[in-house]
Amino acid sequence: MAETTLIGAVNMALTRAMADDETVVVLGEDVAVDGGVFRATDGLLARFGAARVIDTPLAEAGISGVAVGMAAQGLKPVAEIQFMGFIYPTLDQIVSHAARLRNRTRGRLACPMVLRAPFGGGIRAPEHHSESTEAMFAHVPGLRVVIPSSPRRAYSLLLAAIRDPDPVVFLEPKRIYRAFREAVADDGQALPLDVCFTVREGRDLTFVTWGAMIKETLAAADALAAEGVAAEVIDVATLKPLDEKTILDSVASTGRCVIVHEAAYSGGWGGEIAARLAERGLTSLLAPVERVTGYDTVMPLYRLENRYMPSTGRILAAARRALAY
Amino acid sequence: MTVFNLPDLGEGLIEAEIVAWHVGAGDHVVADQPIVSVETDKAVVEVPSPTAGRVARLRARPGDIVKVGDPLAEFGDAATSADTGTVVGEIEVGGAAIAEAGDARAAPRVKALPAVRALARKLGVDLALVAASGRDGTVTAGDVERAAKALAEAGPAQPLRGVRRAMARRMARTAGEVVPATVVDDADLGLWSDPGDVTIRLIRALVAGCAAEPALNAWYDGHEMARRLHGKVDLGIAVDTDDGLFVPVLRDVGNRDAADLRDGLDRMKADVEARKVPPEELRGATITLSNFGTLGGRYASPVVVTPQVAILSAGRVAPRVLAVDGAPAVRLALPLSLTFDHRAVSGGEAARFLAATIADLERPR
Amino acid sequence: MKVVCRFEVRFSRFIDAEGKVVAALPDFARRPEALIPLYEAMVLTRRFDAKAVALQRTGRLGTYAVALGQEAVGVGVAAAMRAEDVLAPSYRETAAMFWRGVTIEEWLLYWGGDERGGDVAGPRRDFPVSIPVGSHALHAVGAAYAFELRHEASAAVAVFGDGATSRGDVAEAFNFAGAWRVPVVFVAIDNGWAISVPRTAQTAAETLAQKAIGAGFTGLQVDGNDVVAVRHAVERALATAREGGGPTLIEALTYRLSDHTTADDAGRYRDADEVSRQWREEPLARLRAYLAEAGVWGKDDEERMIADIDARIERAVAAYEATPPQAPEAMFDYLHATLPVALEGQRAAAMAADDDG
Repeated sequence: MAETTLIGAVNMALTRAMADDETVVVLGEDVAVDGGVFRATDGLLARFGAARVIDTPLAEAGISGVAVGMAAQGLKPVAEIQFMGFIYPTLDQIVSHAARLRNRTRGRLACPMVLRAPFGGGIRAPEHHSESTEAMFAHVPGLRVVIPSSPRRAYSLLLAAIRDPDPVVFLEPKRIYRAFREAVADDGQALPLDVCFTVREGRDLTFVTWGAMIKETLAAADALAAEGVAAEVIDVATLKPLDEKTILDSVASTGRCVIVHEAAYSGGWGGEIAARLAERGLTSLLAPVERVTGYDTVMPLYRLENRYMPSTGRILAAARRALAY
Repeated sequence: MTVFNLPDLGEGLIEAEIVAWHVGAGDHVVADQPIVSVETDKAVVEVPSPTAGRVARLRARPGDIVKVGDPLAEFGDAATSADTGTVVGEIEVGGAAIAEAGDARAAPRVKALPAVRALARKLGVDLALVAASGRDGTVTAGDVERAAKALAEAGPAQPLRGVRRAMARRMARTAGEVVPATVVDDADLGLWSDPGDVTIRLIRALVAGCAAEPALNAWYDGHEMARRLHGKVDLGIAVDTDDGLFVPVLRDVGNRDAADLRDGLDRMKADVEARKVPPEELRGATITLSNFGTLGGRYASPVVVTPQVAILSAGRVAPRVLAVDGAPAVRLALPLSLTFDHRAVSGGEAARFLAATIADLERPR
Repeated sequence: MKVVCRFEVRFSRFIDAEGKVVAALPDFARRPEALIPLYEAMVLTRRFDAKAVALQRTGRLGTYAVALGQEAVGVGVAAAMRAEDVLAPSYRETAAMFWRGVTIEEWLLYWGGDERGGDVAGPRRDFPVSIPVGSHALHAVGAAYAFELRHEASAAVAVFGDGATSRGDVAEAFNFAGAWRVPVVFVAIDNGWAISVPRTAQTAAETLAQKAIGAGFTGLQVDGNDVVAVRHAVERALATAREGGGPTLIEALTYRLSDHTTADDAGRYRDADEVSRQWREEPLARLRAYLAEAGVWGKDDEERMIADIDARIERAVAAYEATPPQAPEAMFDYLHATLPVALEGQRAAAMAADDDG
């Protein structure tokens, strides 16, 4: 079984999905001839043809709007927005239409589309190319937000997202697009949506995170392990609908929770998770919930981005505070 | 209100049948807008509105035969329609004016995690009694466990009642506000001609202190940050009883002679013992004297009770070795402790007060 | 200096305001009787609108957008479409939606605040009402792409107003449609007003039709009060689309004789005299005059038709008012294909809570 990177796994999943289901089409800027600026759609044009792999005009609202139309009329469009920084023009189509179509027609019409975009910082990119505003989409009823953190989960969750009969915003942590490799079988097996994945078990503290932060979080867990502290690491994966049970069960046994996300602190999805813990996990807590996040500032240009994004050191400090409380 | 009658439709027609209305009561129409279809011999024709305005009432129903000149509809006053102030939905309009009240926040509670609170409940520990050792003054599980152990070894809790309860409340209230500082010194009673009435001499000396430094005979309001100096000295006298501490007030001690003061004091003590002190006699002291020396003890840092700014306490009169004219001598010394509220009284003022008090005390009579 | 391109925008009309034929009628209109169903459909729309306003005024219906003056556009567009085509309407397309098979009761349910109004039994593939102005033009393009990919003969038709043509989504829709050459027809109803903003403030372009030229396809104008002209133009545009000739933009010139919605008061921003003048252009009067002149329509026909229409409307209103609101779990049951576990608790709580919580 070949080892592949996260972006390679995205490509594998797209290829698989298009091969298995002829209603799947891919559209976006530079996705066809160029294979996508990150090569996510490499090879698709040659294999499936221009009718199903479409280089669109430069128009994000347009891309998302035609995807809604396609999805409502029987196709399964996978629309790429080149960077999360350019996703905002799609908000009207996603919020007003994609997330509502099934609801407002009582199931007569549905919108089985996927909107995928690379997100997050850490690649020394110019400004606007390092956005992490997943909480905006997670707030929208009727919409799923899925974020893979490993090649295997990227493959299997993207397949699940494409097959799901409802709209999914699939955000790919571009900092770890090529950071590590993993054996991924091209077996067409999807992972379930709406569940968290416990990537490491432990009794002393629970880390909750998603996306590229899994890297720093696992490093912090390693450091703690060297000190005899066994930290559990949960990859949320589907931000919304949230599998709170996995998180609550973990904290019921560890009593301490550190949430890590790159996105800004206020209104970040970590607040939602902390609120659930306060509502349904309060008597388990031995220390206040810690959140290690980006600051409530604009993501700085790349010279300072490592000071903005949570580092292993900051994560460790939070863990130690929780343990010492 | 204008009535619109069926106009002449031409061709010698005298009447027409209403086929259908195109507008209803309440509708706004413009001139020439068709408002009703009527049927004539030849055809169905539209009758246009003669004017812009609001249709108030329709005067005929479909199927009615209306003669030319008969009323078709009434137009209301050309009033403007009520501005809904929106283009969708309905915006409710209320008349009430609101006035937001200020905060009425309760005092902060003990800080403890829910799991710790649950433990305290389980062990029967009142969190308010637990010394907090956690961060930010938080009570930890360990603190609760220690407190539980200590409580198990102590007697049962006795709720404070009556005078004791009042003292607890009074002192607690004071503690949050006053900034206490204490200065101590001894008065050399060696020159007293006779043993004398220590309490009366103390009172007279305190009056002298107030005369020298009126700042200590004052009330201070921390919220307004305002100080009221008093002309008279209404002296609170601390009286210890089995039931607790009483502080009745001896009024205007500066203008009474020794006999009057002694008389007042005795009556006050008797009243206290008999529990006959009227409540107003326990209020309004401008400064307090605590003569605990009769019981024992030397110096103290007694508690200033707001709104007063000073309390003078006297310890036990006892022989001490003092320096007199450069040589040690055994003299009767009266230890004095002056605690003052440093928000309103400076160290200098307190020192001068104490010096004047002591100067008066040290006089032979 | 050479001229690289010029453009032209053509205007068509067949029946004028007095009901006189001013150009050779297209085939479908040669026999006057053939226009009677179009006339009836316009009357149905107008009488329903009046009923809807009456219901709104008495608290039995929510905010409603009347199509007074625009009936010919909706009927003309829908009459040109096939059943297998797909309509993407705005929120004022009552006439087209009734023709396409949306029932009066379904339409009342939608404006009466009930999502079941979107679950129409008739035109199952048509898009529901689009409130965000012009956002559905893109949906029509996506739908057209899907039809072409599947080699279906269907086409998509998006109908929107003059204000919508200022929106980026509409410009992007035109651009996508032209670049992809998909079978879509755009109908821009220029009724002169976008709430209180007149058409002249909306754009410097002399016509809305010419916005198609910028996207690389044909734009043309029709007299939107002439149902024959509307239907003819849309039929031809659909034929072009089906033959692979790409999109067309049809600008239908008409006038919004009513307020923007039942909550609006147009007297605040426009002149009653202007509205009076426009009443003389309205679509029903001219077609009635034409049919009467042609001898195929008389007072008995008018009476009978109005009685039928009113009875239909009354039956639908009764059915609508007899429909109780959905149970609160209906808020949850159509969000996703299957209810996510994460929502089960909320759904149960919503069911258990009464009005007091």
